Amino acid sequence: MTNKKYKEIIVNGIYRVILYIILGLFTFLAIYPILWLLLQSFKTNQVYLTTNKLSLPAVWYFGNYPRIWNNAGLSDGFSNFFKNSLIYTTITVTAVVLFANMAGYAFAKIQYRITKLLHGLFIVGILLTIQSILIPLFLMINSAGIFNTRLGILIPYIGLGLPMGVYLCTDFIKKGIPNELLESSRIDGAGFLTTFARIVFPMCAPVSVTLAIITFTGTWNEFILMNLLTAGDRYKAIPAAVGRFAGSLGADYGRLFTTLSLSIIPILAFYLAFRNQITKGVAAGAVKG
Amino acid sequence: MTINREKRISYAVLVTPAVLIYLLVVAFPTVFSVFLSFTNYNGGVIFGNSNIQLIGFDSYIWMFTEPVRSFYTALNNNLLIVAVSVFGQIPLGFILAYILSRKLITRGRGFFQTMIFLPNVISAIIIGVLFNAFIISPYSVFMEIKKLINPNAEFVLNTQPIIPVLFVILWMFTGFYMVIFLAHMQRIDPAIIEAAKVDGATEGRILTKIVLPVMTSEIVTCSILAISGSLKTFDLIYAMTAGGPAGQTRVLSLFMYEAAFRGAPNYPLANAISTVMVLISVILIIVTRQLGKIFSEKGD
Repeated sequence: MTNKKYKEIIVNGIYRVILYIILGLFTFLAIYPILWLLLQSFKTNQVYLTTNKLSLPAVWYFGNYPRIWNNAGLSDGFSNFFKNSLIYTTITVTAVVLFANMAGYAFAKIQYRITKLLHGLFIVGILLTIQSILIPLFLMINSAGIFNTRLGILIPYIGLGLPMGVYLCTDFIKKGIPNELLESSRIDGAGFLTTFARIVFPMCAPVSVTLAIITFTGTWNEFILMNLLTAGDRYKAIPAAVGRFAGSLGADYGRLFTTLSLSIIPILAFYLAFRNQITKGVAAGAVKG
Repeated sequence: MTINREKRISYAVLVTPAVLIYLLVVAFPTVFSVFLSFTNYNGGVIFGNSNIQLIGFDSYIWMFTEPVRSFYTALNNNLLIVAVSVFGQIPLGFILAYILSRKLITRGRGFFQTMIFLPNVISAIIIGVLFNAFIISPYSVFMEIKKLINPNAEFVLNTQPIIPVLFVILWMFTGFYMVIFLAHMQRIDPAIIEAAKVDGATEGRILTKIVLPVMTSEIVTCSILAISGSLKTFDLIYAMTAGGPAGQTRVLSLFMYEAAFRGAPNYPLANAISTVMVLISVILIIVTRQLGKIFSEKGD
């Protein structure tokens, strides 16, 4: 008996070591290219080209960062792209969370026959790829005279965030907010809109956080629309700016790596701060299938 | 104000912003793109232009029969990406999730999950530029390693340029499937697995008889995500290879983008490509769902 138990402990120990080695290996593979990038950004172009590509910087050169931040080699410095990214994500997240909650409340709790059609339209939108609307959107934005403006970026961004938002909010309100609560609020004399503002919206905080995080990462990383709907650098956010850098700065690796590092540091900080909510949000968003 | 009136107005106020923006930005353009694919519209004034004519399936026929076969090259690359997901990311993600959900992993579960998922939160454009420098360029890490093995190695263009792209896709999204699987595996009652162990079930039997059956629907969901993910692939390839050399690494979305916005525009062709993309995703999703139904019936 003790012999058997002893054996089990050893077998479990071996298992555990193997499992940790596998996990460690995958962790290393996942983060090595990113660590490599961050380290190379402290080399000058000359040093990068002439030394071993796998080596650490022999002399740490910090000069790339202020240069890229203030003058990215295009018409504006990186600080401008950072500012644009913040503007786009803040407004998009706010609008998507608010509009999706409003529509979600109406779809879930106010009975009308048209709800089925409208809600169904949003669900179909989750499955569509952005490429299928690129040309019409480009033509419409041009016809409306809002090409290369913040508004011309923000309207499509909000529209693209809504399908997932409406789906998540409707689902949450339907299952998570009891009808009795809403009825008692109405008996107290509150209208539908007051009920939404005082009871539904505050109670939706959990789904709003999930939605805000999904929308934030999606908007922060968006490239194809931004690239298409802006000209020049003034209204570009980080990914679209990097898309242009890659061509014109490809010959200067020090500055290229610094640009990439500056681009990923904010989103990495955001991810590490909200990692649990982000992975939960991903799992929640994936159920749509 | 009567209650009915108040109800109707409230409903309108609540749904109008979302519905209006959505119809304008997503629903109308989708239908409009399909319509444009049957016309000869190719730039210039779009609304109220009387020169726009219906040309039926001409753009589609040209796309399917032109001698360079660009459409098939792109489609083939999309299928390779689906294959990487189905045979690479999904099994690997499943195994990693299974390992992380086991009791043997007592410490660092959150750490491993956070790190393996990390590439997913970075913009694919940035990943593409990074891996161009990491694998493809003459001054890359890949070249450095080649020189370590053979000091006389020279930089040559890859004859299979899609391989590095597929590798990066595998690298980037494996953690995504791991997170989905892990979220569902944690819902399996540990007592069931413990009971099976007491009854003498091996690890292999626990995996195939308890965990896999519960996870069937998640595997189907992940396959759907893999297909729509493949069709959405754009940024990474745009930044990493720009579809080159000679269009060999193009996917449908990039093919469509180049037709419309690079060089002389060919909107009819581009709209035909995007209509085909929508059709493919709808068909594959229906097929996968039917398969899922069959699987779950067998499971019962």
